[in-house]
Amino acid sequence: MVNPWIAIGALAVVAVVIPVSMMVVSSLLRPSVPETSKRATYESGEVPTGSSRAIRFNIQYYMVALLFVVFDIETVLIFPWTVVYDDAIDKVGLFRALGPMVLFIGILVVGLAWAWRNGAVEWVRSPRADRQRTEQQT
Amino acid sequence: MQLLPEQIMGILPFGGVGAEVVASLIAAAIIGTIMLTNTALAGPWAKRKITAAFTDRIAVNRIGPFGLLIIVADAVRLLSKELIVPEGVDRPAWDLAPLIIASTALLGFSVIPMGSIVGINMHLADPEAGLALVFAFASMASVGLVMAGYASNNKFSFLGGLRAVAQNLAYEIPLILTGVSVVIFAETLQMSEIVAAQQETLFTVAGIAVPSWYAIVNPFAFVLFVIANLAEVGRNPFDIPEAPTEIVAGYQTEYSSVYFVLIYLGEFIHIFLGGAIIATLFLGGPAGPALPGFIWFMIKIWAVFLFTQWARSAVPRVRIDQLIEIGWKGMLVLAFANLFLTAVIVGVVL
Repeated sequence: MVNPWIAIGALAVVAVVIPVSMMVVSSLLRPSVPETSKRATYESGEVPTGSSRAIRFNIQYYMVALLFVVFDIETVLIFPWTVVYDDAIDKVGLFRALGPMVLFIGILVVGLAWAWRNGAVEWVRSPRADRQRTEQQT
Repeated sequence: MQLLPEQIMGILPFGGVGAEVVASLIAAAIIGTIMLTNTALAGPWAKRKITAAFTDRIAVNRIGPFGLLIIVADAVRLLSKELIVPEGVDRPAWDLAPLIIASTALLGFSVIPMGSIVGINMHLADPEAGLALVFAFASMASVGLVMAGYASNNKFSFLGGLRAVAQNLAYEIPLILTGVSVVIFAETLQMSEIVAAQQETLFTVAGIAVPSWYAIVNPFAFVLFVIANLAEVGRNPFDIPEAPTEIVAGYQTEYSSVYFVLIYLGEFIHIFLGGAIIATLFLGGPAGPALPGFIWFMIKIWAVFLFTQWARSAVPRVRIDQLIEIGWKGMLVLAFANLFLTAVIVGVVL
């Protein structure tokens, strides 16, 4: 009997060694001729303006990430329940096996409905982008 | 049946922990080589051929039989390209991102039962938490995408990274919720047990025994899972993180040479990993008549690959606002409904 974690660790080693060896082979083969204009970041052929790190992006990316944290923890808690569910029906009956999970998911679904009503999963369009819009929106 | 490292350990002349490590490394190298061969076949060759067939063109056919040697030509060409390091990149993160994208997807295959061929069982490890582990490995690629998007110091990359996060967050939960609805039937997270639970006969039609593959038991969950998987691997209609017609190439805009190869490779391994998860959870894993299990497993993951390529050619891309609405309002609610109904039906009927 081989310990499964040793086997998984071995694949982790292989999965790192293969890409790294590709990088090494490539570094032996490739030329290196850095030039200022070549090293500029790609901005459709224009001279890059401003910093890419200070770019202002839509608040919605943050909202869905916040919502995700709640639901992700919830899926972690559902995992063990699905494994024992069928056994639990035989031992404690359907009501006591299913009831608590229905309550738990129910609270989260109410939370989702609240977020939905408050527009957390609605895509917010920035007013400035709307003003700049030239096409007629139907 | 013995797993691959155990079979190799049986023929090693020495024992103990040393033999375990050596046998595991050899087995891991075999599994890694199989998946990289698949990816080498899919990336530079099969993808072009399939796309060409969909758009009524003839693709690569000059080098070697059916243009197969384009794989070698592309490998040499891409590895010998200059690596252009753009100004102001966040150096350790920029170098690590391709590595993470490629390795984590490959790591997912550690727990996938790939069936046996000529008496060799292509299954590396079978821990009890197999399913949770494979979902964890599959979703680690998002970290690489964010690192690539942020570290590149490019506005297109940054937008692509943000889109990748929003998409993976929205579709991760429906994917896992429909995945665990299968566990309610199988009562285990161990991959070999999930496959074994699908071998029972569900019903018999005209003398042919239909196995209880979970795609047949619960087709609704199967459809949901396949759609969520398309978003997870970032293919049409959910390819907005790359969106070549909008944001150049998203997070991979500034990557050239070997780093481009690694990101490209990682994406294709990820598609195959998605196919492997679908095959294991819903299509009976390596089960099938006549042919060896390993061949059936390959047929199933290539079928899923062909499906993603069909979607790539045939389905238009959704917008980011549509993506969020489909994910959070449609898929999530349907995934909850699926889980609840499965639990009720298992509780009342079985």
